[in-house]
Amino acid sequence: MLHALFDGYTRSILVFTGVNIIAAYSFYAPFKTGQVSLGQAGFMAVGAYASAIMTQKFGVPFALAFPFGGLVAGIIGVLVGFPALRIKGIYLLLLTLAFAEIVQVVALSWDFAGGAQGFRQIPFNPSILEYVVGAIVVLILFFARLERSSLGRAMDAIHQDETAAEVMGVDVVRIKLLAFGLGAVIAGLAGALYAHHATYVDSSTFNIMVAVEILMFVVVGGSSTYWGPLLGAGFLTLLPEFLRTLRDWLELVPVAWTNFFPMNRVYDFLHDALDFENAKRLIVYGIIIIVMMILRPDGLLTRDALRRWRWTARHA
Amino acid sequence: MPEAARPLCLDIKGLTKRFGGFYALNGLDMAVATNHIHALIGPNGAGKTTFFNLITGVLPADDGTITFEDRTLDDARPSRRTLRGIARTFQNIRLFPHLTVLETVMIGEHCRAYPSVWRALGAAVLRRPFAQVGAERRMRDNAMELLGFLGLAGQHDEKASNLPYGDQRKLEMARALATQPRLLLLDEPAAGLNPHETEELDAVITRIRDRGVTIVLVEHDMNLVMGISDRVTVLNFGTRIADGTPAQIQADPAVIEAYLGEDAAP
Repeated sequence: MLHALFDGYTRSILVFTGVNIIAAYSFYAPFKTGQVSLGQAGFMAVGAYASAIMTQKFGVPFALAFPFGGLVAGIIGVLVGFPALRIKGIYLLLLTLAFAEIVQVVALSWDFAGGAQGFRQIPFNPSILEYVVGAIVVLILFFARLERSSLGRAMDAIHQDETAAEVMGVDVVRIKLLAFGLGAVIAGLAGALYAHHATYVDSSTFNIMVAVEILMFVVVGGSSTYWGPLLGAGFLTLLPEFLRTLRDWLELVPVAWTNFFPMNRVYDFLHDALDFENAKRLIVYGIIIIVMMILRPDGLLTRDALRRWRWTARHA
Repeated sequence: MPEAARPLCLDIKGLTKRFGGFYALNGLDMAVATNHIHALIGPNGAGKTTFFNLITGVLPADDGTITFEDRTLDDARPSRRTLRGIARTFQNIRLFPHLTVLETVMIGEHCRAYPSVWRALGAAVLRRPFAQVGAERRMRDNAMELLGFLGLAGQHDEKASNLPYGDQRKLEMARALATQPRLLLLDEPAAGLNPHETEELDAVITRIRDRGVTIVLVEHDMNLVMGISDRVTVLNFGTRIADGTPAQIQADPAVIEAYLGEDAAP
């Protein structure tokens, strides 16, 4: 249905943006309880390989392989989550990072799944965009209800003061484990979607930079409200596309003007710098992070800002 | 009721906690009678906050037993002990800075409303919207009642971190009471309060006791302690040096020595 609406290029952009949004939610779930994970790319890889093995090796339809990818990632997530409960801060970061590295090594050496040559000829699914949009809608509904529930409040409390929450009777261990496992499931789903659009994954597809980008999405978008990951992932993924479009429009500007002020060169530079195939974007990411930490450390969108807007809208 | 007939709320035998070679608590025996206000006093570093951390399970004890209402508190996690009916406040206030006053109290209610994580998750996403609204409303109403009880009505939409200091202390008590405790541990509730607020606190603590809650009070304000306590235990260097009614404690030479130095003892 959505397939017919867009040309192949646009569709591809939308799918990758959607996968990034889902991946951003996979980071947001454990982060809601204060757990910072750099292992979400690893869980994406688990979901990608698990679902691709199902579809390519055993001919299972994608509709079944897709939740299977999430399930396998979730089971491994809970196993990783147990040791993760005991440690905090930088040590949790290192543990999740180490997990992602282990996944990469396994993918590299597992010949059944392609090994060093990568997992090739994963069946392309033409309705992947529908799956992506459906998953995002479900995730937003889920996190919206969570934010307004007692469990969501308990997660916020754990994030803000874990000891105080535990002493007030909040079952910190189980809730943190639930949030970590949930994040792994979501990452697994994102990986499964990616694999059946790109049709090829290898051990380096979900590397450490992917994990850092996922973290960036949530930091830039804002982590205090469930709209943050959507905004951050959407904004950072589509930014190069916006710039490309802007540049195309600037072609229409009379040549005499551009000699006077070469706007298109500025946009060319920005576009180059932000291109997702270009390592220079990391420099721009670094600058964005520094500026964000100074100006808006809680991200572009915060729950307080939303509250203020709603209040203003009601009383306008 | 005669003293001897009161059942014990908390019975502590030989409680010991070491930090390296330092004994924060050394073989402490203490009995807290049900529905008493029992003060625990002593000079700084006597082991009072460590005592609270051991009772609530924040720190593991090295030795000794804690019996709460005839059941031994084994090495259960703090949240389990809260479910059994023990709540506390913190000496250095530990509120959730980004939650509102109302939300803060509702955190205390969470463990009673949803003792299992799966039920909480189910309530968050699966249940019919109206059932969820009903449960939330009950929690909200209880929280508002508690806020009114502690004199914080009308401030429920304020952020916890924006409250004045004295109100933050009250909010900590409201949050602790929301867990429906039968034993409440108050860690220096009068610290940083002005004389007027301390007087208010006096009344609040008495009213909490009148709701049927046993109170263990760690406090430096001796007027407050001697005025409202049924019994006082005095600690110094992790051991008990006196135990008795406020009048007995005030006359005890060991206590005077601990507080004022050897020369001051009669």
